[in-house]
Amino acid sequence: MTSASPRRPDVRGLINASIRFAKTFPREFWGRLSVPERVAFLLVPLAMGAAIVTVIAIFWLGGPVVDFLGANLPLVRFAVAGTAILLLTVPTAFVLIYLELKVIARMNLRVGPNRVGPWGAAMSVIHGLKVLTKEDFAPTGADITIFTLAPVVTYMASVMTLLVIPFAPGLIGQDLNVGLLYFFAMGGLTVVGLLMAGWSSFNKYSLLGGLRSAAQIISYEIPLTLSVVGVILLAGTMSMNRIVLAQSGSAFDWFVFKQPLAWIIFFIAATAEANRTPFDMTEADSEIVAGFATEYSGMRFGFFFFAEYVNVFIVSALAATLFFGGWTAPFNWPWTYNLNWFHPLEMGFGPWLAIVAFVLVVAPQILGILVMLFGRGWTYVQASVLGALFTLVAVVGLVALAGFIAFDWVQGLFWFMFKTYVFVVTFVWMRATLPRVRVDQLMGFAWKWLLPASLVNLFVTATAVVLLNR
Amino acid sequence: MPPRQPASRPSKSRAGKRAPEPPQQYASTDDPRVMLDRQIGALFEPIPPYPTQTEREGEFYTLRDGEMFLNVGPHHPSTHGVLRLVVKLSGEQVVDVDPVLGYLHRGVEKICENSDYYHVIDQVDPLEYVSALFQEWPAVLSFEKLMDVQVPRRAEYIRVLTGELLRISSHILYVGFYALDLGGLTPILYSFIERDEIVEMLAALTGARMLFNYFRIGGVNGDLNHEFMSRLGDWMSRAAKEVESSATLLNENEIFVRRTRDVGVLDRAAALRYGVTGGNLRASGVPFDVRRAHPYSVYPELDFNIPTRDEGDSLARYLIRIDEIRESIKIIDQCLHNMPDGPVMASLPRLIRPRPGRAWAAVEGPRGMLGVYTISDGSDQPFRFRIHDPSLLNLETLPALATGHLLADTMTIIASLDPVMGGIDK
Repeated sequence: MTSASPRRPDVRGLINASIRFAKTFPREFWGRLSVPERVAFLLVPLAMGAAIVTVIAIFWLGGPVVDFLGANLPLVRFAVAGTAILLLTVPTAFVLIYLELKVIARMNLRVGPNRVGPWGAAMSVIHGLKVLTKEDFAPTGADITIFTLAPVVTYMASVMTLLVIPFAPGLIGQDLNVGLLYFFAMGGLTVVGLLMAGWSSFNKYSLLGGLRSAAQIISYEIPLTLSVVGVILLAGTMSMNRIVLAQSGSAFDWFVFKQPLAWIIFFIAATAEANRTPFDMTEADSEIVAGFATEYSGMRFGFFFFAEYVNVFIVSALAATLFFGGWTAPFNWPWTYNLNWFHPLEMGFGPWLAIVAFVLVVAPQILGILVMLFGRGWTYVQASVLGALFTLVAVVGLVALAGFIAFDWVQGLFWFMFKTYVFVVTFVWMRATLPRVRVDQLMGFAWKWLLPASLVNLFVTATAVVLLNR
Repeated sequence: MPPRQPASRPSKSRAGKRAPEPPQQYASTDDPRVMLDRQIGALFEPIPPYPTQTEREGEFYTLRDGEMFLNVGPHHPSTHGVLRLVVKLSGEQVVDVDPVLGYLHRGVEKICENSDYYHVIDQVDPLEYVSALFQEWPAVLSFEKLMDVQVPRRAEYIRVLTGELLRISSHILYVGFYALDLGGLTPILYSFIERDEIVEMLAALTGARMLFNYFRIGGVNGDLNHEFMSRLGDWMSRAAKEVESSATLLNENEIFVRRTRDVGVLDRAAALRYGVTGGNLRASGVPFDVRRAHPYSVYPELDFNIPTRDEGDSLARYLIRIDEIRESIKIIDQCLHNMPDGPVMASLPRLIRPRPGRAWAAVEGPRGMLGVYTISDGSDQPFRFRIHDPSLLNLETLPALATGHLLADTMTIIASLDPVMGGIDK
């Protein structure tokens, strides 16, 4: 027997290893993957390859590609907006989950998450990672196709509604002229996903949860939509952007003051639509364990979980848009400022050097010396680091302030997010405070009270619009 | 299944590559999934694997059109421990309920019959794990009756004091879990603040937070100490206010009131027929309280009311608990004012051998009448040790109360009956 010398590569060993790998690969690796993992395993290299080819193609065929994109600008805009919104949902859900954990903890006189990251801020990210790494389990007897598709449908329904929400002047996915109609059409798809989940799980708790969600969401869709018709009548349009513009001016131009009854109906129905306490019948944990999500685990559950919080955000955003003036400021904003004198590219080398030196060296040192003077015995290095941090905060704050003063869309985004998160916190607050209503009380409330009230509101609004001829 | 041919048996080396055997074909149906559904359905249906034993069981396990079984528990968020319910549903409406007990059965009575009289006390502790002293109390009472022991008055006052503290903690926990079963997240945490304070002060007195093992035959184990008294004084200065403010979150909550009013109405006659005791009985309008009806300890010397309500629904059962908390605070106040000096333990022999005889003793626990019936044959172990638990009798009303309501109301009713599974399964 000859042993391979250290100089020569062990070709035979390499070949044997390759053969062994090829033999064991289907059973040891491929066979252990679940269906989504197989898809991902195939798609990820393909997507990476496609990205590389695209980059090369852009460099190679740069001109024609730019021409092509320029010729199809609406299409490009749609693709970019869709991608941006899809990417937006994940951090939004993270923020909302953390917010809920922390706010409810405070209301319960607890501390809440405080281990991962500063003040536990990375908690929801860790939750997301945990969900990603969990086993992708499907129960015996489940209809796997529908079982897998259900969270996708729910999540996509939530995400697609974001497309018509105006975040700021100019920051809107698609300014459809039937934006509100599109919103409710897409929002109504959520129930399909929940029903699919409830049916395909092969579990009676899931089934009850799915049927409850169908009954509840369809019942509350009607007063929700009818309450908004008054707003449409007043604004004269279904485009979300123009509804916002119709409320511009001061806070007293908001539709909440012209449509107070509609606002109450909308808020109640929207709570039910987002499956939030006190209307969280579909996942009433003390009755039907987790409702439609009982059999879900891993990322399939993660999608449901994310969709729930994205829904909360969307419903809050819609409330802010329709009744509270969207991105418009609550009072006439007089302090606009022009940054036209600031030409960063034509400033020359000297001023740039001065700015950089000030930000990097002078300001941290000044702040650091202040820290050493007034702090509690910091060393020089610690004080410098603190000074640099303070400078960073100050610079970010200054840039944000400058943007807020100078750019419309920064102002708009600020007001929109402020109003939206007020409602988000309201939803969280309700969850911490209220018990759950019963399913028959829920339905009776929708059909006996909300629906007649919304019809009355519609009638009064229409009469007023006709009489006042507005 | 066709008989397997020896020739077709795969060789060992090719076992991994061989295709799995084709699934069994069903002649009766075209769609294999129908058969799969049926098989798995049969696996997961809670139908007993034996022929039904009684007429009632046979009736229960016969499904009519549009009905289905739902297996709730033993691991379910709101069945309070390991209670299992087989619920027969028509839509969401409860047609019938079959509580299945015994998941926590340990044979405590038999264990007690094999322990000597001192050891019985720590054997019965975990039965009433929310307020363990109330299970020790009837046991030591019955032993004292057997032996004609005169318990020192200070010990009696300490028993009443600690007992009423535990009654408050149990009722506060009841309120919290009630709200939790109705979907309210916060009251349970407010409840635990009060309960934790009570439990901590009892830990300062007894050394344990949950299973105290504090009462002794002829007294209690250890006198009141400084930490207990300072904690108790601190807590009593704010107890009434805290309890009122916690109760406001639910008392005036429209959703809570609407979900509990007229749900699970237990009328006076039915309550008496079922043998229900405690707050559940008093919520049905019967002013029966062992502390007044068959007085024990120093309760005759104390001034307190027995709150009753006539509605008999889940809301009344909740409000009775709130009223009882107020009465217990009154009792604790009187105990602290009337507490006599003296020993806390009667002098007894190291080994107890009571005269042959029988003794029944009962106390009013947070859930009702806790009784112990002891037969002594003159040896150092009880010949028979029978525990009467109120939770079992209270829970027996569940099928009657829940039938006709919705599934969600079943949880409301369970929470309002306040069962503790340790005592039920024994």
